[in-house]
Amino acid sequence: MRGIVSRLLFPLALGIGLGLLYGWVIQPAQVVDVTPASLRADYRNDYVLIVAEAFAGDQNTALAAERLGILGTEPPDEIVLAALEYARQHSFTAPEVDVLQQLLTAMQTYEPSPAQT
Amino acid sequence: MALGLAYAWVLAPVEYVEADPSRLRADFKAGYREAIAASYSAAGDLGRARARLALLADPDPPQALNAQAQQMLAAGENFSLVEQVAQLAADIVSTPQVAPPLTVALAATASGSPQGSPSTATVAAMPTQAPASIATPTPRPTQTATPTPGPGFVLIEQKTVCDEDLGASLLQIIVLDSRRRQVPGVELIVTWNGGEDHFFTGFKPELGNGFADFEMEADLVYAARVGAGGAPVSNLAPPPCSGDGGASFPGSLLLTFAQP
Repeated sequence: MRGIVSRLLFPLALGIGLGLLYGWVIQPAQVVDVTPASLRADYRNDYVLIVAEAFAGDQNTALAAERLGILGTEPPDEIVLAALEYARQHSFTAPEVDVLQQLLTAMQTYEPSPAQT
Repeated sequence: MALGLAYAWVLAPVEYVEADPSRLRADFKAGYREAIAASYSAAGDLGRARARLALLADPDPPQALNAQAQQMLAAGENFSLVEQVAQLAADIVSTPQVAPPLTVALAATASGSPQGSPSTATVAAMPTQAPASIATPTPRPTQTATPTPGPGFVLIEQKTVCDEDLGASLLQIIVLDSRRRQVPGVELIVTWNGGEDHFFTGFKPELGNGFADFEMEADLVYAARVGAGGAPVSNLAPPPCSGDGGASFPGSLLLTFAQP
């Protein structure tokens, strides 16, 4: 019995382990088509700021909600609230915090039309 | 080992949860560009728009923007959004990047440690920790082209172009703003007896963002105007030209419209 373990299972486990090490650590699969939900926190929050700046210009609530929608399934107001907290923690400028606050207010009162749900 | 690799690469590949925008899928990149253009339209901060576009790692950001504007036009998207994208492309091309590399004031991340950030040599284009922090040192441009189509554009020049290499009689049109910069995304209307065509500047960025052309037929007379409210320029027809051997051929016209 010990012979079987040492001759078959141990090399098998060692091979699988090496394969996992190589595939997960040394040479992980390169993903190039990620969704915005996978963005790193700073990029994600900068994207929300981009949307907020655009909203400050066009005041288009539906368009802003649509743009925020690509960040995931969270409600838009929660996405903006998280970005606003991030902005306050990371010393964003006052105008940046202001536009985020404006967007948050708009998203908190935004009700998508039935066609958009 | 093959089993391990199959599991690691196919069944359960490493999940990227901290990706940068350059890894986004093409349609999300398009949405990102559009949002950047809208933000630029509202805030007018070209330096910041450049830095944000750099995050997408397009080989040629203005070309990517122009291509996207054309796709948006073709898809019938809201024209004001198309204009914003095309305008950002035009402003990037027309405004040299003179700002020195920005000093990014690094803010601590949630975990307090760097996260695979790009090299510091590219930090001007690729903020790594707090993209928003680049706002403060970015100079705000003072000149922004105004691509408002309509009655503001007037014909300032009409030239005959005798170039057999063009292969056809073209009505070539260049649209400039009041600062004489080419304006993309402007609607042009060409009419003739029994027909009308609408097209836009910027579809051939290699010839200029404010350029567009239309193939004329030898036996027709055309009128062209910029936008629905523009004053028409009439009696446009292929002019007679002489080739190298003395043979005549129908030439082309080059019209230049500009805002006063």
